[in-house]
Amino acid sequence: MNSNPLHLNTSRFEGCTVTGALSVSAFVNDAVSIVHGPAGCSHLNMNLFHTTLLQHNTFRFFDIITSGMDENDVIFGGEKALKESITTALERSPKAIFVISTCIPETIGDDILQICAEDRGVPVIPIKSSGFLGGSFNEGYESALTALLELAEPQERHDGGVNIVGEKNLEFEVEENFLEVERLLSALNLDVNVRFVRDVDTNDIRNFCKGDLNVIRDDQTGNLTRHFEKTTGIPSVGSFPTGPGNTIKFLMRVGDVCGVDSRDAVQEEFALQEELVADFSDLRGETITFDSFGFQNTDALIFDEVARLIGIRVDDSGTVIPVPMGMPVGTTGLRHMLKQWRRFIHA
Amino acid sequence: MKQIALYGKGGIGKSTTSANLSAALSGMGLDIMQIGCDPKHDSTRMLTHGKWIPTVLDLVREKGNQDLSVEEIVFKGYNNIRCVEAGGPEPGVGCAGRGIIATFQLLERLDAMYGDVILYDVLGDVVCGGFAMPMREGYAQEVYLVTSGELMSLYAANNICKAISRLSKRVRNKCTLGGVICNSANIANERELVEEFARRINSSLVAYIPRDRIVQIAEVNKQTVIEYAPESGQAAVYRRLAECIFNNKNMSVPTPLETDELESLALEYIEI
Repeated sequence: MNSNPLHLNTSRFEGCTVTGALSVSAFVNDAVSIVHGPAGCSHLNMNLFHTTLLQHNTFRFFDIITSGMDENDVIFGGEKALKESITTALERSPKAIFVISTCIPETIGDDILQICAEDRGVPVIPIKSSGFLGGSFNEGYESALTALLELAEPQERHDGGVNIVGEKNLEFEVEENFLEVERLLSALNLDVNVRFVRDVDTNDIRNFCKGDLNVIRDDQTGNLTRHFEKTTGIPSVGSFPTGPGNTIKFLMRVGDVCGVDSRDAVQEEFALQEELVADFSDLRGETITFDSFGFQNTDALIFDEVARLIGIRVDDSGTVIPVPMGMPVGTTGLRHMLKQWRRFIHA
Repeated sequence: MKQIALYGKGGIGKSTTSANLSAALSGMGLDIMQIGCDPKHDSTRMLTHGKWIPTVLDLVREKGNQDLSVEEIVFKGYNNIRCVEAGGPEPGVGCAGRGIIATFQLLERLDAMYGDVILYDVLGDVVCGGFAMPMREGYAQEVYLVTSGELMSLYAANNICKAISRLSKRVRNKCTLGGVICNSANIANERELVEEFARRINSSLVAYIPRDRIVQIAEVNKQTVIEYAPESGQAAVYRRLAECIFNNKNMSVPTPLETDELESLALEYIEI
């Protein structure tokens, strides 16, 4: 999301680790996520998820419960409240329980790991989070992916599937982005093994290690790539492809790692990109400029590349184009973005 | 109503001094309340003849804080001194400091804080905002530091000065330093050292309490010295302390020492 790493900014735009962790854990169909802390932490995130998805035309409530810490839990320790909420969660017969901690229990030092370690017949997995103490959205998102990987079981062999890792479940075009990556993979005759984590069952995650490549949505820090390499030995591609050049490189890289000849797929993709140039030839010779409104990540190189491809001039005097919230994924993403540019140019 | 707090290093004799001070003050015909603000909850034990009274936080834990009455948390001890123990969570969990704050809020809500003198006996050091509570919000307006001549004890006392001096910068602050009480550990030049320490932190020595076996004898009999041996010299010391504190008008904002300053002071007075 935003590129300014100052804490003031991340807290305003991105929220805390709890939001990041829930954006992963809440998308396991048969699991319950417990937010260990005061009820407000859970409420605000439920609210955020609900309204965000409503904007995406999805009506959905999540299996998120709170341990509801109150003042007495602060004084005497919140461990009892957490245990009770795990009992409540178990009543829903989940296949897994995830425990996400907020600032308060971490401040007073609740021993969350110990409580999660008790045998309950169902995996109770703590996600290192600690509210704002633990950082911002991205730390929680990474922690959740790392923690949920504990559900994966060692596999005899790899079946040639690709794991889609860390889809941003709250972003507007999450499904379109996935479909585009799936299309690119199928051009290489590769299947998706598991979407880790988007609307999957706990059992799907168990098969994670069958995959022989991870395609990570956006591993800016490289932490996820390193972690998956270390724990599962599966190599990763660190981001979904954005921009015409990167999309071609993506095909070649994935082909290399999976031992698949990518030449045909690359040719097909070049053809699609030429089609794109033809379809947007009406924009040739126009002048545009980009505005990030001060907080969006402006990867200007990609926009310049697209402009060059179509034959659009970039200059401060041109039509102002707002930088999109999420970077366009693959060639299909470029098509959507160019339609938007056209609307602004012809407005 | 006069509200005073005794602070000092753990094990230095705060509770013994507090209980005897309360007993002596009550002997002056005053209505006294003593509040122990230490999870160890043994502040008032000599006033209740060895009986462990239930702590506020034990009761809150069992019954919640909505249904508690004054009778359940305030207990009358020697000479009708009203005794309260804040208590705390089990060692190693939760937040004891927040417990002190909750105790004060509960006592306020129940209108239980009244009398001629309220004496707060507080945990060894000001470890967090919760344990500074007796000094805040206009509760204890006079803090007395209990210390011996041992360096670590002076060090703790000096730290409390830092807390008072920090709080004194707040607009609504009413907390001041009333003085230093030397509870002797039988060290040579001890009185002179503590007196000089008190002077350097912009305060004064209000009492020198000699080490006396009678304190231990009274303790094993589960009584204060005032009750067990009212004619003893030690009882007279506590009574003098009570009068001195009750009439004390010399309040100050302390000037805490730097650590090396404190160490060189201790070095000056130590017998080698």
